[in-house]
Amino acid sequence: MDWTARLRDALNAPRRPIEDDVIEELAQHARALYEQARADGCAHEEADARVVREIDRWRAESSSLRHRSRHAQPPPPASTSSGISGLWQDARYAWRLVRRQPGFAAVVILTMALGIGATTSLFTVTNAVLMRPLPWPGEDRLVVLKETRGGRTPRFGSLSNAAYLAWTDRPATIDALGAWTIQNVTLSGAGDPERLRVVAVTASMFRVLDIKPSLGALFGDKDEGTSVVVLSEGLWRQRFGGDPNVVGRIARFDGEPRTIVGVVPDESGYPDRQSRAWIPYRVPLPNGNYLAMFEAVARLKPGVTTDQAAAEAAARGRFAVNTGMTTLAIFGGDGPIEVVVRPLRDAITGDVRRPLIVLLGAVVLLLLIAITNVASLQLARATTRRRELAIRAALGASGARTVRQLLIESLLLGAAGGAAGFAIAVLVQRGAGAVLPADFPRIHELGIDGRVGLFAAAISIAASAIVGVLPAISVRRVNLVASLAEDGTSPVGLGGRASIARSRLMIIGGQVAIACVLLVGASLLGRTFIALLHADRGYDPALVLSTPISMPAPGYSPERRIAVLSDIVARLAATPGVRHVGIASEQPWTPGGSTSSLTLPSPDGGAPVAVQASPRLVSTDYFAALGLRVMIGRYFDDRDNETSQPVVVVNDTFARRYLRDKPLEAVIPLAVLGRAQGTAAVVGVVEDVRYIGATATTLPEIYFSFRQVKVGLRSTTGTLLVRGDDRPERLANVVRSAVRQADDTLVPGTIMTVQDRLLLTTLARPRLYAVLLGSFAVAALIVTGVGLFGVLSYTVAQRTRELGVRAALGARRSDIVVLVLRQGMTIIALGVGVGLVASLWLTRFMTTLLYGVTARDGITYAATVAVLFLVAAVACVVPARRAARLDPLRALRS
Amino acid sequence: MGTSMLERELKRGSTQLLILALLEERERHGYELARLIDEGSRGVISLHAASLYPTLYRMEHSQLIEGRWVEKAGQRRRRYYRITRAGRAMLASQRNVWDTFFHALNRLARITTA
Repeated sequence: MDWTARLRDALNAPRRPIEDDVIEELAQHARALYEQARADGCAHEEADARVVREIDRWRAESSSLRHRSRHAQPPPPASTSSGISGLWQDARYAWRLVRRQPGFAAVVILTMALGIGATTSLFTVTNAVLMRPLPWPGEDRLVVLKETRGGRTPRFGSLSNAAYLAWTDRPATIDALGAWTIQNVTLSGAGDPERLRVVAVTASMFRVLDIKPSLGALFGDKDEGTSVVVLSEGLWRQRFGGDPNVVGRIARFDGEPRTIVGVVPDESGYPDRQSRAWIPYRVPLPNGNYLAMFEAVARLKPGVTTDQAAAEAAARGRFAVNTGMTTLAIFGGDGPIEVVVRPLRDAITGDVRRPLIVLLGAVVLLLLIAITNVASLQLARATTRRRELAIRAALGASGARTVRQLLIESLLLGAAGGAAGFAIAVLVQRGAGAVLPADFPRIHELGIDGRVGLFAAAISIAASAIVGVLPAISVRRVNLVASLAEDGTSPVGLGGRASIARSRLMIIGGQVAIACVLLVGASLLGRTFIALLHADRGYDPALVLSTPISMPAPGYSPERRIAVLSDIVARLAATPGVRHVGIASEQPWTPGGSTSSLTLPSPDGGAPVAVQASPRLVSTDYFAALGLRVMIGRYFDDRDNETSQPVVVVNDTFARRYLRDKPLEAVIPLAVLGRAQGTAAVVGVVEDVRYIGATATTLPEIYFSFRQVKVGLRSTTGTLLVRGDDRPERLANVVRSAVRQADDTLVPGTIMTVQDRLLLTTLARPRLYAVLLGSFAVAALIVTGVGLFGVLSYTVAQRTRELGVRAALGARRSDIVVLVLRQGMTIIALGVGVGLVASLWLTRFMTTLLYGVTARDGITYAATVAVLFLVAAVACVVPARRAARLDPLRALRS
Repeated sequence: MGTSMLERELKRGSTQLLILALLEERERHGYELARLIDEGSRGVISLHAASLYPTLYRMEHSQLIEGRWVEKAGQRRRRYYRITRAGRAMLASQRNVWDTFFHALNRLARITTA
């Protein structure tokens, strides 16, 4: 019988023939089957029928019988696919797993999203502030200049006109040099009057910074001293409706009409975007007793170093006009001009570089906690998946293939987490402007760019890899036999479950260490902020409202300013709820203002002493309103009126530096205030007003009474201080209406307590840093606590039988609780130990951010340890109680 | 892992195990393998030649076994299969796995292997 032909007829489909080789082998099989049947005694028909049945079955399988492979190939994995199609298959498989456990996937994605979102957000700030180039072309050649005399820096401003003018004539190392000062003015004319920050700049500033107008022109050297103004695009849109024909229109600044000549794009505005307009500034010529101070920027010639520029500035400074006593007053010392040249970028961002790097480091630690938490979850899941993975391995899936599968799963989750995190970062970036302090550098340049996107993608992939690799390592180590042998009830300590529980505990230990570092850092910054907040400033900032009141020339003469302010004081003093009202020529909480020099007879009878001090004009009740404490003698009172002998009060620094032990016998020449003759007796010494805390040195100050010294208020802005009974905020409206009643054209500045003013200015950054690091630490603590709870609950569940046996053998509940607690506490103790060592090392990088506390503060470390153990105890309690309540019988039967 | 996927892989695994075990003794041809599996498992594992040959081809492809045509005097040529080194390694590992698996099944479900 020709089985070969019969098989070919039966199996061959048209166009898809079966190989001859296969047909021949099957024909042999058929023949053997037939012969066997005949040998068993079957008739031909019956034997033939058996073979036909077999052939029918082959036909059903004919697709897999078509051919055999003759070419040797490397053994494929158990699953037949590989390469791209294998990747696709793995991805589909991973997607099915995710869909089958949506809760697990949600927890993983959310955790990663928060970690990646926080990290990307902080990177967005770091990127904008520290990494992006400044908005001016060739910014790497821009430098700021700071003059020193005999090693002393000026008490306000950076560069004097003497140093500036000595350098402007054909400089060798710089292309151009520009000067600027900030002015606060009232813009009127178009709409309601508005307080604005404008910058008075030399025309050369535009060349230094290479600023191009977006409309009209900029002013040039010949315009210095004329009444023109360049607007920022923002101000142009807001106040002038973006009028394309705005050039030539008039804007009134402090009542002075100025012709608008051009508009500058917001991003290239200098020094920052809070500056709304630029008016011309002409650097005045120096003379013997006048020194103008301002800020200065220069553009280095290509290839010139900052040192070379500084050398030229110093060399030229030798030929500067000698300004004698004025130099002494401003610098507190005399000597030849020296100039410190510093890259502009450094000057703008130097203050925030260290804190940003510290915070970025902290948020990366937080991300690490989030990632390891996910890895821990994956490990827990790997326990249940061990058999699945073991069976795959037994069936030939290579280790690499299994690892790939796990990595693809975590990449899928990581991609989702990363995308959500990126979305969070975008939202945070939109809100960041409102949260960051207004003086935070480059805050308006925050934005998501390609680098931020790359960063988010990179950390997402890195996070996915870590999350995927940890379980993968544990799977690679899977002992097939042990995994398959585990029957789900064997006590922990024998099978792979124990090693996974151990891995998870190790992760918890690492998280505790990280949480410890974050907690120590956050506590140090928190204590710094509290120390700054409660620092003894010499006065009480909490219950006193303050507002600047601007009375620009020419509408207000110095005398009229005093009259208006006195009127406001009188109105407020008569208001119920107001305790003390004071006015001052300077803001009391800043070191700004003018400074004067004078000579005093030596207290020891020796040579006269050269004195530099800041004269401050105040009203009688000023000290009481500010809460400034008197140390010796008295404040001003009603005796010190227009007709009595003039008296002054000096601050502690003045008394200690110049008056030694007999302060109340001294007399101060009134020439300090521009009054040619007469003297004033010192009647009191008050505490120093410390500006920032103890971080800035206080300067000598002399307080004069408005009533006695009739020079009027020469600065255009006076400061009003109102101390109320309890809630000073309630008095804000009272203050506003008193100002309006006294002069209805006056616009008071923001009215707030001095405390709030400090929080918005000098305390804003310490507070931000403390709040950010604090929230990272709290998040780390929660994640770690929840993780510990999870692992302990898991091991208690795994050890149900063992614990049941122990209970049955007579272990008391307390023994069982101790057993569980010991497991939790051991790992906490290890983590805390590592964390403390790491903290001691890492907090060294924070020392410049600290105030009132050292990086090795024992109380902080002790409190951190206490908090960590408290959280650990809370996390352990529930699992321990559950273990203690185990009913031995049920535990053993389960 | 889906149940059907598991079943399929288990079935494939068991067939492979049997074939490897039978080839471990000496080389055999397809019909012989089919008969031995049928007899050896007393019909409990019914392995039809229909699924035998695809399995053989797959295993050949995986280099677990290799087949060759043998011509003996006075007979038609027949295709004989013999186990490769990789096949032996796989057999050893699978024996282990299945031993443990059945052991575990036994403990879990009180199923005894025949």
